[in-house]
Amino acid sequence: MRKTAPLTKIVMVFLVSLWAMLLDSAAALALLTAALVALFALSKAPAASYKALGSLGIFAAGLTAMQFALGAEAEFSAVVGLRMAMMTGLFILLMATTRIQDLTAALVRQLRVPYEYAFMVTASLRFVPDLLAEVKAVQEAQACRGYSNRGSVARRLRNYLTIVQPLVLRSVTRSETMAMSLELRGFGANRAGGYGTSIAFGYRDYLALAALAAGTAMIVAMRFYR
Amino acid sequence: MLEIDNVSYCYKAGQYAVHGVSLTVADGEFVAIAGRNGSGKTTLTRLVMGLLRPTAGTILLDGRATAGTATAAIARQVGYVFQNPDRQIFRDSVAEEAAYGPEQLGFAAAEIRDAVASALEATGLAAMAAAYPRTLSKGQKQRLAIASALALSPRLLILDEPTSGQDAREKAALMELLTGLNTQGTAILLVTHDMELLARYARRAVVMTAGRVVFDGGVRELFAGDTDVGAWGLREPAAARVARGLRDCGVAPGPLVPEELNGEIAVARRELYA
Amino acid sequence: MAAIVFDNFSYSYDGAAKALDGVDLTVARGSFTVVAGPSGAGKTTLCFAACGVVPHYFGGSMAGRVSVAGVATAGSSMRELAVNVGTVLEDFESQLVTMTVAEEVAFALENRGVGHDRIARRIGEVLAQVGLAGLEDREVGSLSGGQKQRLAIASVLATRPEILVLDEPASALDPEGAEELYALLASLNREYGMTLLVVEHDLARVLAYADNLLVLADGRIACQGRPEEVLPVLARSEELAAMVPPLWQLKFGLEERFETRFAPWRHEGEAIEELGGFIGAGRREDTKSA
Repeated sequence: MRKTAPLTKIVMVFLVSLWAMLLDSAAALALLTAALVALFALSKAPAASYKALGSLGIFAAGLTAMQFALGAEAEFSAVVGLRMAMMTGLFILLMATTRIQDLTAALVRQLRVPYEYAFMVTASLRFVPDLLAEVKAVQEAQACRGYSNRGSVARRLRNYLTIVQPLVLRSVTRSETMAMSLELRGFGANRAGGYGTSIAFGYRDYLALAALAAGTAMIVAMRFYR
Repeated sequence: MLEIDNVSYCYKAGQYAVHGVSLTVADGEFVAIAGRNGSGKTTLTRLVMGLLRPTAGTILLDGRATAGTATAAIARQVGYVFQNPDRQIFRDSVAEEAAYGPEQLGFAAAEIRDAVASALEATGLAAMAAAYPRTLSKGQKQRLAIASALALSPRLLILDEPTSGQDAREKAALMELLTGLNTQGTAILLVTHDMELLARYARRAVVMTAGRVVFDGGVRELFAGDTDVGAWGLREPAAARVARGLRDCGVAPGPLVPEELNGEIAVARRELYA
Repeated sequence: MAAIVFDNFSYSYDGAAKALDGVDLTVARGSFTVVAGPSGAGKTTLCFAACGVVPHYFGGSMAGRVSVAGVATAGSSMRELAVNVGTVLEDFESQLVTMTVAEEVAFALENRGVGHDRIARRIGEVLAQVGLAGLEDREVGSLSGGQKQRLAIASVLATRPEILVLDEPASALDPEGAEELYALLASLNREYGMTLLVVEHDLARVLAYADNLLVLADGRIACQGRPEEVLPVLARSEELAAMVPPLWQLKFGLEERFETRFAPWRHEGEAIEELGGFIGAGRREDTKSA
């Protein structure tokens, strides 16, 4: 999966999601889900994504059980659970096997999304770990002053402000620095973007796209001309 | 009052951030911890606060193991001042900010008032009790962070690089403040890169390298010229470095600050009279 | 031609309090200028003014003018000014915006429409220059503090500015890291002829490199000149005396005690050499008179 171009994977996410919407047999969806799990196994995805996949499985099972408990038919309940699992699983697969910078480059150069928007996506993903580290640092600083996350819900919420307030102020200063830095480095002008990214199509992309197109045609035909 | 007994901490299996460290800090001591970034100094102090829990070994406060004690409870005995005060300041006045700890730990209203008043007094912020904390200077914010810790009247105060980014005057004022607290009985554990400050203010120095304590002894001993402190990532204070270079000219080793070396050089010049 | 000229420049963020007040300053081409002074003296504002962040990013009100490489900052955009001035802000970690080291260096080049082949070559050159060669594919988040600082420098060096402005670049580094950073800056200054404007509290760190020292207090220039001109002035001032590096405290102390003058020591080695002779001379005199 890593050698497949990001655009191919984006197309795959959309088309296979479409298949999941169109198919209404639990057996077909289960087959598709099995194929997705196989793809995961082949893709050498990082361990964290298996964890995500695991929780997704549990959530999907829960959803199915809930539908069933609420009086839906067994087949329908399974279809709902599998569809949800399929569509989310596809997205996890995309993120696990694509570098964010490649995704941005594909969005900008192949899908013509304006660079500024695509950059914001990358930049926010880039700052998530930093933000989490900052949350931890603030939490620790307050713990050393007697903060504890115990007591009634109201008290806990009020206490949480002691974390949120320094965090917000720090994030504001931080984004200010980033904005200055962007401007100082000439951001925003007509740029090519995507240095060091690999988004070019190879033979496997053409093969995959052909297979996806054929699959879509087949499923659409089955669904509407049955 | 603090005993660290053969403590280790691993981020991942086999990767030691702190490795078999034993260290005691007695009541009223002034100890500095030095070492490269990543040598385990900060990890060690975080273990003391219970922000991390040792992989092996025990930490005792007044003879009692802290293993099951929450950080908030440890804060009554040990105050911790972080490098960046902006990460903790959140209230609208200096006094309210300092009152946060005592409130959290359920002090009575009168106790809170007294604790805040004496903490602001000790840190020289009494006149600014009503000021808005965010507009204070870096040095004043750091004092407020110290006041916040002092409001719980801890017997040990740990400070992680409290002088970084401050100007020379603020640094000196902060160190004078710590010296004052120390004479009144608060033990000080100062994590610092600044060897000039260490030489001038601390009596005992602990040096860490790759998670281990490689030196624990007098500051004068550390810079007497017999140990290669450069190998531990430290830089000798200027006076100690010059004194070492002048050893062959009859300058006695040991000066830590310019005034001391000045005297030694005078002695060396008049040596024949002596 | 001077690299940076401040001509009676005053600036206020909010229109009330003056962050800079009537600053006259000329930074010569190829100079290593260090800006020092108490907190709140206007050092960061001075950096901002040199790269156009003041007034372009903050607005505010200004008087007088600043020109950089002959261009008036008020009349051109931050983007245009950045061609001549590279800026590393105090919070350099927030300045890094991409995922990997190579992309960070490529960022400004891409923004200027440089072709991929030239970008690839430039990344190699710049990373070698700052001592990060071989780390092209590392994630920025996985670097140490010192490495991030170097990357921030590399990312602005990429477009070959002739002036580099750095705001307290060593404050997050340990003593070794700070020493290495200043050795790097000195090599950019000496080998590549870059003009440097650096804010630094700890003058001991820059004594060996700085040829121009600028001390700000309350938004005004308290004194400026070669270190050997400025340090005696600081030593005599009650508010600023604490800024004198310990080596020069020693020098001034001895000069007063023995009523003599020593050379302007740039590091401990020079002091040891001169003091060795000084002590020896003292002994010989004693022997003669005895």
